[in-house]
Amino acid sequence: MDLAIDARGIEKTFVTGFIRKRRTHAVRGIDLGIPRGTIFGLLGPNGAGKTTLLAILATLLRPDRGTAKVLGMDVLERPGDIRRCINMSSGHANFLWSLTVRENLEFYAMLYGLRGSRLREKTQGLLRLFDLDAYQDRRFEACSTGIKQRLALAKALVNDPKVLFLDEPTVGLDPDVSRRIRRAIVELHERHSMTILLTTHNMAEAEALCHEIALIKDGRIRLKGLPSDIKRHMHLGDTIRIRVANARPLPDLEGLPGIWEKTVEGRSLVIRLDDHKKRLQAILSRLASSGCAIEDLSIEETSLEDVFVRFAG
Amino acid sequence: MSLSDLPAEASRTLAFLRRNWIMSRRNAFTIFEILFWPLVGMVSVGLLAEFLSLPASTRSFILIGVISMGTVQVCQLDVAYVLLYDVWSKSLKHAFIAPVSIRHFLLGSWAAGMVRGLCVFAILAAGGALCFGFDLRPAGPAAIALFLAALFLDALLIGLCVCILVLLLGNRAEVAAWSLVSLMMLLCGIYYPVTILPAPVLVLARLFPLTYHLDYFRSFYGVQAAFGHNLAIGNGLVLLYLLASLYALSKAMKRAAKTGIVLRLSE
Repeated sequence: MDLAIDARGIEKTFVTGFIRKRRTHAVRGIDLGIPRGTIFGLLGPNGAGKTTLLAILATLLRPDRGTAKVLGMDVLERPGDIRRCINMSSGHANFLWSLTVRENLEFYAMLYGLRGSRLREKTQGLLRLFDLDAYQDRRFEACSTGIKQRLALAKALVNDPKVLFLDEPTVGLDPDVSRRIRRAIVELHERHSMTILLTTHNMAEAEALCHEIALIKDGRIRLKGLPSDIKRHMHLGDTIRIRVANARPLPDLEGLPGIWEKTVEGRSLVIRLDDHKKRLQAILSRLASSGCAIEDLSIEETSLEDVFVRFAG
Repeated sequence: MSLSDLPAEASRTLAFLRRNWIMSRRNAFTIFEILFWPLVGMVSVGLLAEFLSLPASTRSFILIGVISMGTVQVCQLDVAYVLLYDVWSKSLKHAFIAPVSIRHFLLGSWAAGMVRGLCVFAILAAGGALCFGFDLRPAGPAAIALFLAALFLDALLIGLCVCILVLLLGNRAEVAAWSLVSLMMLLCGIYYPVTILPAPVLVLARLFPLTYHLDYFRSFYGVQAAFGHNLAIGNGLVLLYLLASLYALSKAMKRAAKTGIVLRLSE
């Protein structure tokens, strides 16, 4: 498989304090392979090691042990070459406060070697892409959080990166702006087919954006796979609520596989089961054979949020 | 690096020059750095010299010290600001994730510092001439140019030290941007000849290139030089220290990538 990111046995411990040294094991032996062109989500509670891992892959931090390759280049041996092909955007967008939106963008574009007409075209294009034209002459310190965040994403694209690191890209934003940012991320991925590694606390975001996710806790990856696989793996199951119209006694579902629990709430049957897609047909057949007329039916799938709460707890 | 890389290299360097320039233009404290503090220093020292009825050579001695001090201070601040601006705005990681190296940010910020330093030098020299009759001309253009180049190298060295300290200690080290020059004032003989310093301190003073550079330039204004080959020794020392500092800075950057200080300074 063609991997954009290939990390093996990554470990990182931070040592603080001069006299009484304190060690914090941020990452403890992480293996991670991310195929090119995917959006990969790193999920985990605060202090799980997500940002540390991101920083190692982005060449901002040296791992204590292990090897990491980005686009086939080793992060310790060829950090300069990697930096030309990657970029990063953080949730808490911080840029030079006295510079305007345009000047900030131009500054970072120049750091990637852009100049002259290419510099102007690139900045203008990014300002347009992120609806920043109207704010281009506004100083960064005077911008709203949403504008700052859009600038952060625009800055992350000045070098047309092949790998993009997004560290909690929508943290602290209102739902409307968050949705726009998420849409922008999807569009970027579709248009440039770049590999995106994002960390987030927002499970809806992870579910909406990521092709694959990894749950990280205490510096270790505990689960990795497709969101649907992970939900199944956590055995939280689905819930089916069926309201019947007639007064007939609710049928027994004995003998049907995959059903974990059945409760009756008024005229509704609440069934907790492993996978509704596999079991629904059999349940409906049993109800029909018992003469029950179904008035309403709803399915609650396990959300990533449920998985995360269980996982973080 | 090939010839085809040169335009991109120049763009990376210019980015820092342009950024420092914009930041200087936008911030009120720049006026204080370039005009207010240097001129206040010059006028107060000049008036003190008047009050003490100092002879012309002694007055020139002191005014050269004041002009040099102002020039070095402003130029080194620009070099130090190259990291401090990012530290203050918590954007350090964005600069470090870009494909730039020491040479880009040092050359860019140093160039900005030289422009501002030249302004301070010109303003103070003009102020000295107008208020206290100080005449810069006896040294001649070549010696003035050499002296200015030496001052800018001294400033680069101090700015480099600030950058190293910032990468090692974080924003606790920002105070070094203002205090290192004060140390120079004490040891390099800004207001007095270093020969009056106690012997152990004189040994220290002789380790600083600025001591020799001042000694060189003052010799054009009727002041007896304290050291032979002062310009050569000063330049030799500054080049030696610059090499050592560049090595130390590259080590500090590697250490910063190990300790995670770049991330901490970006939060």
